[in-house]
Amino acid sequence: MPHVLPNLRVKVLFFGRVRELTGIAEESIAVPEGTTLTELFEHYQKRFPMLAAFRPSLVASRNQEFAAWNTPLASGDDIAFLPPVSGG
Amino acid sequence: MTATADNDWCELLRVRIDWNAAVKHVRADMDGAIVTFDGFVRNESHGRRTLYLQYEAYESMALTKMREICAQVRATYCIHRLAMLHRLGRLEIGETSVFIAVSAPHRAAAFDACRFAIDTLKRTVPIWKKEFFEDGAVWADGQLPAPPPPKTAS
Repeated sequence: MPHVLPNLRVKVLFFGRVRELTGIAEESIAVPEGTTLTELFEHYQKRFPMLAAFRPSLVASRNQEFAAWNTPLASGDDIAFLPPVSGG
Repeated sequence: MTATADNDWCELLRVRIDWNAAVKHVRADMDGAIVTFDGFVRNESHGRRTLYLQYEAYESMALTKMREICAQVRATYCIHRLAMLHRLGRLEIGETSVFIAVSAPHRAAAFDACRFAIDTLKRTVPIWKKEFFEDGAVWADGQLPAPPPPKTAS
């Protein structure tokens, strides 16, 4: 039995090729307190094993700012996993 | 120079970009130069004939990043005003996807600031384009924004 920790809820967004791969543009998800961006991504990697191949080319953002992968989540965060940008 | 960042015009649009409006926005009697960058859809990519492009953005973050670029430009170059417009959705060959206009009292600052603005936009603003060809479609090879260093325990 895993420990039952209090959950927090975050919004997760996917764009570009990873949006197509997961079929998710945006969803709300509950995760245990203390979860980091890396662990959140691992959760999605379990659901969508093909995501693993994209991991080295993604950056994460938290509340519209690029964020380090070991950043812990807070309740109400907007999290996004961003492929290499190609605007212009 | 009295202009502030409030005078800058950053926008993501789903309609045709109006270059004249952008140039008018930045032009004032105090200026002596305007430099513009018009990025538009090319008819080929690596030798394949392009049919059209589809752009998408993380809109709230893209606008935040565009405003940050304006602030960086202001902190670095002696310029008056900026307009930075990017279009989203489906774009046909020859249509403008990005337009930047910078005004300044003197041309050197306007050239440098415009170059910095487009280079930084292409590296840091979360916008993506998908290229559609006769025989398929691909997401364009993009640039990976530098992530911040890992947080250290405090």
